[in-house]
Amino acid sequence: MPMSGEFKEKILAPLMSISTGKDLKFVGKSILRKEGIDKVTGRARYVDDVKTPGALYGKTLRSSIACGRIKKISFAPNIPWDQFTIVDARDVPYNRVLQIESDQPVLCDGVVLHREEPILLIAHEDPGLVETAIRSITVEYEREPGIFNIGEGRILKQYDIEEGDWKKEFAAAEVVFEGEYKTGAQEHVYIETNGFIACWEDECLTVHGSMQCPYYVHKALKYAFKLQDDQINVVQMTTGGGFGGKEDFPSVLAIHAALLAKKSGRTVRLIYDRAEDMASSTKRHPSISKVRTACTKDGILRAIDFSFHIDGGAYITLSPVVLSRGIVHAFGPYKWPAAKLHAQCFFTNSPPYGAFRGFGAPQSLFAIEAHMTALANHLGMDPAELRRRNFIHRGDTMPTGQVVDEDPNMEALLDRALELSDYKTKRARWKRGGGKGISLSTFMHGTGFTGSGEVYLASRVGIATTKDGGAEVRVSSTEIGQGTETVFPQIAAEALGIDISKVSFRRPETKVVPNSGPTVASRTCSVVGKLVERAAGKLKQRLAGADIRQHYAQHGEAYEEVEYVPRPGLVWDDDKYKGSAYGAYSWCVNVAEVTVDPVTAMPRVDTLTATVDVGTIINPVLAHGQMEGGIAQGIGWATCENVVLKEGLMENHHLTNYVIPTSADAARIVVEFMPSPYSEGAFGSKGVGELPMDGPGPAIVSALNDAMEAKFTHLPLLPEEMLK
Amino acid sequence: MRSFGYAEAENAQGLAAALGKGYRIKAGGIDLLDMMKERIDKSERIVSITGMTELRGIKERDGGVAIGALTTLNEIARDETLRKAFPALPDTVCNAATPQVREVATIAGNILQRPRCWFFRQAEYNCLRKSGQACYAVAGDNTYHSIYPMGACHITHPSNIAPALVAVGAQIIASDGKNPKSYDIRDFFLTPEQDLKRENKLPQNEFITEIFLPKMPEKSAYVEVKEKQSFDWPLAACVATYADKKWSIILAHVAPVPLRATLAENVVGEKADIDENLALQAAEAAVKTAQPMAYNGFRVHLAKAVVRRALLKACGKDFHA
Repeated sequence: MPMSGEFKEKILAPLMSISTGKDLKFVGKSILRKEGIDKVTGRARYVDDVKTPGALYGKTLRSSIACGRIKKISFAPNIPWDQFTIVDARDVPYNRVLQIESDQPVLCDGVVLHREEPILLIAHEDPGLVETAIRSITVEYEREPGIFNIGEGRILKQYDIEEGDWKKEFAAAEVVFEGEYKTGAQEHVYIETNGFIACWEDECLTVHGSMQCPYYVHKALKYAFKLQDDQINVVQMTTGGGFGGKEDFPSVLAIHAALLAKKSGRTVRLIYDRAEDMASSTKRHPSISKVRTACTKDGILRAIDFSFHIDGGAYITLSPVVLSRGIVHAFGPYKWPAAKLHAQCFFTNSPPYGAFRGFGAPQSLFAIEAHMTALANHLGMDPAELRRRNFIHRGDTMPTGQVVDEDPNMEALLDRALELSDYKTKRARWKRGGGKGISLSTFMHGTGFTGSGEVYLASRVGIATTKDGGAEVRVSSTEIGQGTETVFPQIAAEALGIDISKVSFRRPETKVVPNSGPTVASRTCSVVGKLVERAAGKLKQRLAGADIRQHYAQHGEAYEEVEYVPRPGLVWDDDKYKGSAYGAYSWCVNVAEVTVDPVTAMPRVDTLTATVDVGTIINPVLAHGQMEGGIAQGIGWATCENVVLKEGLMENHHLTNYVIPTSADAARIVVEFMPSPYSEGAFGSKGVGELPMDGPGPAIVSALNDAMEAKFTHLPLLPEEMLK
Repeated sequence: MRSFGYAEAENAQGLAAALGKGYRIKAGGIDLLDMMKERIDKSERIVSITGMTELRGIKERDGGVAIGALTTLNEIARDETLRKAFPALPDTVCNAATPQVREVATIAGNILQRPRCWFFRQAEYNCLRKSGQACYAVAGDNTYHSIYPMGACHITHPSNIAPALVAVGAQIIASDGKNPKSYDIRDFFLTPEQDLKRENKLPQNEFITEIFLPKMPEKSAYVEVKEKQSFDWPLAACVATYADKKWSIILAHVAPVPLRATLAENVVGEKADIDENLALQAAEAAVKTAQPMAYNGFRVHLAKAVVRRALLKACGKDFHA
C-alpha cells in the first residue's frame, strides 16, 4: 500500500451531502476515493502489471464445436513440444469447478458441451510461441446436435410460488391482459479483462488475480486440488470492474493458472485478451417471460400469472440463484391479491451464463414493467396512473408471503420523478409516432442474498488497531470500482470516532482477511458495511477511550471480529420458496425520454431521470456513480448491446461489433436520492449496486414504442428492427 | 514476445532507403500497431516518420490547398481555411474515432488504413485478404460489411476523410525518394475485383508526401449515421460537393472503396439548388445497385438517407424529416 497517507482526503462541497438526521462526520460525505489517486496516476497495479521474471505465459485451447466428443488431439510435428508445459484433464486432481454444484469440468474430459470450452492449457516463456503452438494443435470431434433455445433442453432449476386464489381471480376478472417479453444476453465489458498469476511453493499455492470474490476462488482451488485451507492464498489485485463477470468465472481461470504452475514448477501468467474474454466468459442470461394479469376496468390489479424462463448454458454455475432473484422480483412493487409465479432455467449448449449486475431481476422486471405500460395502453390509462393505483405499502403482503415492514414511498418517488422530468407536459405534447417518447418504470431491488443466503454465508468482518493510532478494516469484500475501499473506512471511522485518514482498508487476500462473503448482490455497503459498523463499535468498546497509538504500543494489535446475525423475524422457507426474500428493498422510479430519427430509426436516450431510495447514502458521489454507471449499462442493454449468438457462442466477441454506449451516447442522467434509512444496513443504508440496472430497459423500450408508435416487447431494440 | 527493428527517418532519402530494405512506415501508428498486436501485420522492421515535420501542415497553394501527409485529423478538423472553404472535409474527421486518436492519426494513415472487417482483424480467420480461401462475412455476421458487391471480399473502406477527397478529385502526391509521383484519388483505391490483397495503388517503395486539393467546391456537406457517437465508424455516410456546375456524391463506409454515386449525380445534373423531391430521387438512384447481405439490408435505407440529407444540407436546407 504505497500510497495510503500520501494524500489527504478532501470533502466535497456540502451540496452533495445527504442529511441522515444524525450528526455524522464521515458518513454522508463525498470522501475522495482512497484508491483514486493510484488509479489516475497509473500507480495502481492490476494483475497484468505484476512483474514476474522467468514466468511462463499460459494460453487455453478451446473447443470449436458446441456439442460432441473429442476423438483425437494431434500435435503438429514442427513444434518442439517438449519445451512447452501442456495440461489436460488428467492433470487435474479433481476435475470439477466447485460453485453451487460441481458439474462443470475444469478441462474437457472427452465430452464437449459448449463452444470455447477449455480442452488443453499450454504455457511457455515466449507468449508468441504459445500462440503459434495453440494453432498447431488439431482437435478432431464427433459432433452431436446441440440445443440452443430456451425450453428445448433439460431443466436446470425450477421454482413455483403461489399466493391467494389466482384461478378464481382470473375467472372473475373484468380485464385479462397478457404478453410475452424477451431479453437478450449482455456482455459485461469490464475495462480490465480476466487474468490470474499462479505460483506454488512447498505445496502451497498463491494466486494473484482480478476478481470480485476471493473466497469463491479459494473454495474452488481447494476442491480441484484437494488442498487444506491454509495451503492456498488468494490475493486480489486492483480490479478493473466486475459487474458480476468476475464473480464465478475467475474460479475457472485461477484453477487453470494453478494447474500450469503446478506442472511446470514455475510462475504462470494466464491473462485473457479482449476477444478471448468476451468469447469464453459468462454473460447475462437471456430470458423469455410470459405475463398474464387480471385487473378491474379501473386498473386495480387482482392477480398475476408470471412464467419466467432463462437460458442457463451448459453448466449450472450460478443459474439457480439468478433464476431465484429473477422470480422474486417478477411481481414488481405492486400489490397482488393473488399470484402464480413459475420459473425455469434450462440447459443449452451455450457457454454458461453467469452473474451480471441485477442477477435475473432486470430480466423479470423488464417483463413486468413493459407489461404494466402495455396494460395501461390497453386500458387507455396513463402508465404512471396505473402504477400509482397499485403500489405496495407497509403491511401489504408480497406474492412471496413477505409482509412489507418498511415504507416503500413509491408515490413520493413517482411524483418527484414526474416533476423532475416534466412528464405530464411532455406526454401531452409528444404525439405517438412523432419521433419523441417519454415513459417510465417503477421497481425495487432486494438488498443482499436472497432468502436464507446471508445466513448460510455467515459473513465475518475484522478490524484491527494500527501502530500509527488508526485502524485497518479486514474484509474479503473487494474494491472493483464501486467504492468499497472508501465507504468501509468511512463507516469504520464514524463508528470508531477517529479521523477517516486514520482508517485503512486491507487489500483482500484470503490468508489475512476473514470471509465477509462475495462482493455481489447489492450487499457490500449495506450488509457487510453493517458488520464493519458493528466490529468498529466492538473495538471502540474494547479500547474504552484509550488512545489507539498508546494502546498499540502497550498491548500490540487489538483485533475484533463480528459475524452476521440475521434480522429478527426474518424467516425464509427454502422448500416452499416463501418468506422474507430480503431484509430490505431499495425502491426506484425511472423516467426515460427518447428521440428517434424518423428516417433512420437511430435512437437517442435524451434524459433518464431516477428518483431513488437506497436508504442512507454513505458517500453521495460514489452512490451517484453507481446510479449513473448502472443506468448507462441499462441504456446499452436496451438500445445497442446485441450479443449475436451462433451455436450458443457470442459471434461478435469484439468491441468493434459489440456496441456499448460511450460517454457521448449516455443520456443526461438525473438522479435524486430520497432516503428512508434501514435499521439493519450500515448507518441505515440499503443496496445500490444492482438497482440502477433494473429500470432503464423497460422505460426506454416503452418510450421508443411511443416515439415510433410501435409495440415492441423485447430488448435490445435495435434501429434496424424499428425500420422494418 | 515478437521483436521488430525500429528506425527513425529524418528525410525523404533516408525513408526511401529504409523502404528499400523492407521497412514499414509508422506515422500515427493507430492502425499499424493495432495490426501488429493482433498479429495480422507481421512487419519485422518499422520506420517512424513522425520526425519529418516538413510533411505536416495545411497550406494554400496554386489556388488550391495542400495538406501534408502527417497532418493530424484534429489539425484538419480545426483548420479555419478548410472550415470556411470546404466544411465537409473537416466535418468528416471532427467526430472520427476519439479525441486522443485524432490528435495522432494522420491524413495519409487514415487513407491507407487497412479494412476494419473483424474477420480480417482476427488472426484465427484466414480470410481471402490474408491469402485464405473464404470470405467469412458471406456466412457470418455481416452487419457492417459492404452493401455493394465488388468481388469476393466484402469489406467496407474505413477511411473517414477519403470520400471528401474523392469528391473534389484530390491528387495524392507520393515519392520514392527521388521523383514525385501523382495519383488521382478517384482511381487510387482498388476494389476486391481489382486486387484482393491491396486496397490502393501505392507501391511498397513509395510514401505519400501530401494531398493536394486543386479547387475548393462552391457547396459541400457531410452526413453520417453512427451507432455510437464516439469511437465508431459510420454505418453509412455521404459527402456531396458542388463545383463547376457538377455535383459529386460520394458514399462512404458502405462499399470496398469510397463510392461515387454516378447514378445519383446524373439525377441531379447541373442544378445548383436541389429540392426535397430531387434529393429523394437522387438517393433512390444511389442505392439502385446496392445488394445487401443477410444482416445489413437496413444500411441500404441508411445510405439513401445520407445521400438525400447531404444534398439538402449542401443547399442549406433543413433535412430532418
